[in-house]
Amino acid sequence: MKISTTKRLERLQERHANGDISRRTFLTLTAAAATTAGLNMPWMGRALAATTDVRFDGWGGVVQEAIDKYAFQPYTAKTGNKVVQGTFGDENEIITKIKTSKPGDFQVIHSSGVNYYIKYVNAGATSELNEANIPNLANVLQPMIEPFRKLTPKLSAVPYDYGTTGLAYNTTVISPEEAKEKGAAMLADKKYAGKIGGYADMTTRVWYAALDTGQDPNNIQDMDAVWAKVRETRDLAKKFWSSGAELMDLLSKGEIVVTDAWSGRVAALQQQGHPIGYLDPSGSYAWMEDMLVLKGSPMAECEELLNFMLDPATSIAVAEGQNYPPSLDPTKVKLTEKIEKLPAFDPTGQMKALTFADPIYWADNEDAWQKQWDRISKGA
Amino acid sequence: MYDPRLAWMLVAPVLLLLIFFLLLPIAVMLVYTFFTFVTAGVESATVTLANWHEFLTDGYYHGFLLKTLRVGGMTAIICGILGYFPAYFIWATTFKHKWLLLLLLIVPFWISFTIRTFSWIHILGEQGLINVTLLKLGLIQEPLQMLYTEGAVIMGLLHFLLPYMILNVYVSLESIDRTLISAARSMGCTSAQAFREVTLPLSLPGLAAGLMLCFVLAAGSYVTPQLLGSGRDALFGNLIYDTIMGQLNWPMGATLSIVLFMVLGCFAAVYTRYMSMSQIVKGLGG
Amino acid sequence: MTAATHGDREGKWAWRLTGFMTICVYIFMFAPIVATVVLSFNSSMFGGFPMTGFSLQWYAKLLQNEQVLQAFRTSLWIALVTAGVTTIIGVITAYALTRFEFNGKQILGTLVILPALVPETILGVGLLVMIKAVDQPRTLWILILGHILLAVPYVVLVAQARLVGIRRVYEEAALSLGASRAATFREVILPLLLPAVVAGALLAFTISFDNTSASLFWRPAGVETMPTQILSMLKISISPEINALGTVMILVTVGIPLLGGLLLQGLTRLRRRGNSTEVEQ
Repeated sequence: MKISTTKRLERLQERHANGDISRRTFLTLTAAAATTAGLNMPWMGRALAATTDVRFDGWGGVVQEAIDKYAFQPYTAKTGNKVVQGTFGDENEIITKIKTSKPGDFQVIHSSGVNYYIKYVNAGATSELNEANIPNLANVLQPMIEPFRKLTPKLSAVPYDYGTTGLAYNTTVISPEEAKEKGAAMLADKKYAGKIGGYADMTTRVWYAALDTGQDPNNIQDMDAVWAKVRETRDLAKKFWSSGAELMDLLSKGEIVVTDAWSGRVAALQQQGHPIGYLDPSGSYAWMEDMLVLKGSPMAECEELLNFMLDPATSIAVAEGQNYPPSLDPTKVKLTEKIEKLPAFDPTGQMKALTFADPIYWADNEDAWQKQWDRISKGA
Repeated sequence: MYDPRLAWMLVAPVLLLLIFFLLLPIAVMLVYTFFTFVTAGVESATVTLANWHEFLTDGYYHGFLLKTLRVGGMTAIICGILGYFPAYFIWATTFKHKWLLLLLLIVPFWISFTIRTFSWIHILGEQGLINVTLLKLGLIQEPLQMLYTEGAVIMGLLHFLLPYMILNVYVSLESIDRTLISAARSMGCTSAQAFREVTLPLSLPGLAAGLMLCFVLAAGSYVTPQLLGSGRDALFGNLIYDTIMGQLNWPMGATLSIVLFMVLGCFAAVYTRYMSMSQIVKGLGG
Repeated sequence: MTAATHGDREGKWAWRLTGFMTICVYIFMFAPIVATVVLSFNSSMFGGFPMTGFSLQWYAKLLQNEQVLQAFRTSLWIALVTAGVTTIIGVITAYALTRFEFNGKQILGTLVILPALVPETILGVGLLVMIKAVDQPRTLWILILGHILLAVPYVVLVAQARLVGIRRVYEEAALSLGASRAATFREVILPLLLPAVVAGALLAFTISFDNTSASLFWRPAGVETMPTQILSMLKISISPEINALGTVMILVTVGIPLLGGLLLQGLTRLRRRGNSTEVEQ
């Protein structure tokens, strides 16, 4: 008993020294721990809880349900550490909140890959993971880790899953051959005027406009042509959707017959038997999601959680639940048949077939493009 | 008899709340309008007029400001017309359970605003009630485009704001001394005259309060246009939201917020003047 | 009296029009809600017409959703505290504004409706920035105080509109008969004001319970209110469950206004008694 209290005090001291907990919390907890040293008092629980609770913020809905069911609940059962969960609808929303909160208020974020990772890096909100504490990282695809390491040699996040924003089309209206032939041009096809959709997101819109104007989305030369194309799609589109639920709704009801779409959501529609086809055109927009640990988090606990989440059994279960392939290397870990059938799944583990956004290039242009996109989306 | 010190004591809690949760934050925002935007989510305290310059010289912002005032005004006026009837009906009816009527009008108000707004998709959408019914009846061949239009946005705003209007008018009607109307009638007024000369003027404070509320809430909304309108149907609130949450450009977002705040403030000033005049009317009635 | 309002032929016609318009407004108010309730029983994954079958699966799913239940409890608690505090301070402020003369009254009168005029986004971000500036954590109390701020204008406006209609002669009579100010307020004004007090309290409760945009900024880490929970569900999950949630919320929240309505009914009766006394005078 005595030893554990001492240990705990040391741990608190260490976290205090790291600036993880405020002086006041530290003193309170120390006092509580000291007065109850050697005695098993209810206070103890609180002092312990303060060191082991992990805060997680994710996208909610089916995705987070899957993570909770297959990762957090077993983790809590195994370690006794609780995962306090929150949700956000838009990652910029959580960045705004992180900016205005203290380090440690938010800890683990289900973040949308390197494009967003760089925003946390720029805001100085990232931490440094001790990779030795995450042995399961060895199973993660190296091509997925590299883009993160390019931004921060010491990782603050681990890649967790990936997917593509490809083209979804209603097979009762558009044949797979037609889709394949036209590719990204379908999004500006006058034939489907009023039946076209798209994600109301700058990156996606610029990406597909670049593909349609025959440019490399990671090195756009003629930006005017891209904006002209974005406007063209806007004028032909019925609606730009702003959530996965809306995408599924519009597609399943036939209100739109072609749209750029998230691979996992289309997989869910297909599993429900809707006549929706999915196509990744050449240069399709691929992205990954990562588990990001913010500065001020209880690192040891977060690392333990990440390691647990990357455990093949957990990772596969989550992937099946959310319809996005896991970040596990298929050449090292045997994945299930269901995962192998998911759209965007790369059996080679090279990620060569997938084109990710160059974070530096996109971050450099983000501010100006975001502003221009906001205007175009409002009819300007 | 009316001790000002007592008055200050009475208003103290609200005053403190207003100072610390309204004025001070607005002051902070005002300071922010002069900050320099560095990159998304980062700003520096270097004083600049760039944000104001951008707002004042860019027609894009002016267009949306005017449009927002137009949509807000239209919504408020339609609300006033539509809302007066039920308020008057509930007030004047001899129906024994009129509280039930009142309650039924407040019930929609109780359901989450987000859910209510979203629910219009079930009515106006291509697989919504109207289109499905019209298609079944063979009246139309192709579904009508009703959702994602300015009309849908105004519809959603009306749905959200009508209870505010009805409540305001009703409360004001309720405070009318009914003997005045009886007196007017017994002195030979027709019912129309009685309404025009007695009921309507006496209910004006409630109607004015309702119009003000509806106008302001409509002009400041951003969730309704987001859910029911297309990008073109955005209001000034969407501009602010996108600037702050999307571009993470707080200085510009603060500037736009301050602009909307000042413009709506002017309307409020006009309203306050109007209200004091109506109080004189009231005083004469008393 | 009602005969007086629609006694002649012209009046009858106008009364019918009023009735017709009232019915139209009722339909307008209820059609989308009814659609939401009906579609919550739809077995399809998507909330579109026509119905594909009857199912209770969305309700079953909802009841297992601990996040939703927790958010509901949080919102209910916040809204109750907000309604209570706002009504008390709001009515007192409205009283001071209509019955007292003091310097700065006009300014305060305008100031007090400002929280309703300022877009919630600016209130949200402004308060957030200020909290950070003074290095305070976001707590539930900040959120509640924020909600009170948002609800105060409505309570004051409703109470003010009513107070303007209550003639001062009653109070002056009571005062001249030797009643204290507090007693006058309690015995004369409050009973006449009660419909507005109840309406204000209901309004404050609703504003708090419904608030989305500002709560998104102010809620402490880890706290979800009902609307923020719904919003994140709307953005990610599928609508039938939200339709079911809406239906459950209708059932639950109707209970509170029902009580309020009964109270209002009782008060109207009380007020009528007040009116008849006034006629005697």
